Amino acid sequence: VTTSSGTIKSSRTITVVWLVLTAITVSSWWLAPGHLSSVATASIPITVAAIVLGVIKSRLIIRYFMEVNSAPKWLRRSTDAWLAILWGSVLIIYLL
Amino acid sequence: MTEHGTAPTTDHRAGPHDDPDARSTHLPGDGHMWFMVLGDLVIFGCYFIIYMGFRAAHPQEFLAAQQQLNVTIGVVNTIVLITSSWFVAQSVLATRAGERARAVNLTYGAAALGVVFLVLKVYEWANEISRGYTNSNEFFSFYYVLTGVHLFHVGMGLIILGVMVRELRNPRRARPAMVEQGATYWHMVDLLWVVIFALLYVLR
Repeated sequence: VTTSSGTIKSSRTITVVWLVLTAITVSSWWLAPGHLSSVATASIPITVAAIVLGVIKSRLIIRYFMEVNSAPKWLRRSTDAWLAILWGSVLIIYLL
Repeated sequence: MTEHGTAPTTDHRAGPHDDPDARSTHLPGDGHMWFMVLGDLVIFGCYFIIYMGFRAAHPQEFLAAQQQLNVTIGVVNTIVLITSSWFVAQSVLATRAGERARAVNLTYGAAALGVVFLVLKVYEWANEISRGYTNSNEFFSFYYVLTGVHLFHVGMGLIILGVMVRELRNPRRARPAMVEQGATYWHMVDLLWVVIFALLYVLR
């Protein structure tokens, strides 16, 4: 069976997504309070950064790993709604 | 080197599932699996929001407890699950291309990484408990419940990956929809972990 050009392209997309997810994860190490030797203090910029990176990571997983990008509209809409409600609530509760 | 090697090639072999330019949509797996996955996402979403509510009441105490987590294991475990998801996503593509043996190997790779995640998580718990961080601390009670329920999903996912392998090994079966269903569940396990990692390990 020959591998079609479509499969090769999809395979590359999945690998690029994996690279981005890994890079974001490694960068979060420096943001996390656990790596500090001194006592951690609350930080709005770091929290906002963690939330933005979380949104990017979770949407990449949904859209490309779970293939929602090419799924019917109801699934694209409902997963986006979940992302918006979850991360929006997290940010609002944190800032209040 | 060869003359014809540089000639532009037209490729019309792409099937209906793997033509990226096709505007038609495709639901991976079936509606039942998505119903379950969306239900799980809503339930976990509620846990996450409740966690944030309790955290907002005692931010200093939560932050001090968060600082006791092993971020290095957290980062390594996140990469382990993301990589495991990459294996499963490639396995779906291999199944669609009819490369069953390759799909089986990729699924085994994904499962092996799932086991690595499980072992590292249990090691992390044992280490935290031995240092006295138990359910008596409010942050840690959330931590153990969230990561515990998640680890249960990892276990379920490993069983589902086993079902995927059984499907792929049967030459009469190897239905792409069955493999997609298993893959969807496994990616959900990855997705939930990414949120847990952000909220419990990184957020300040």
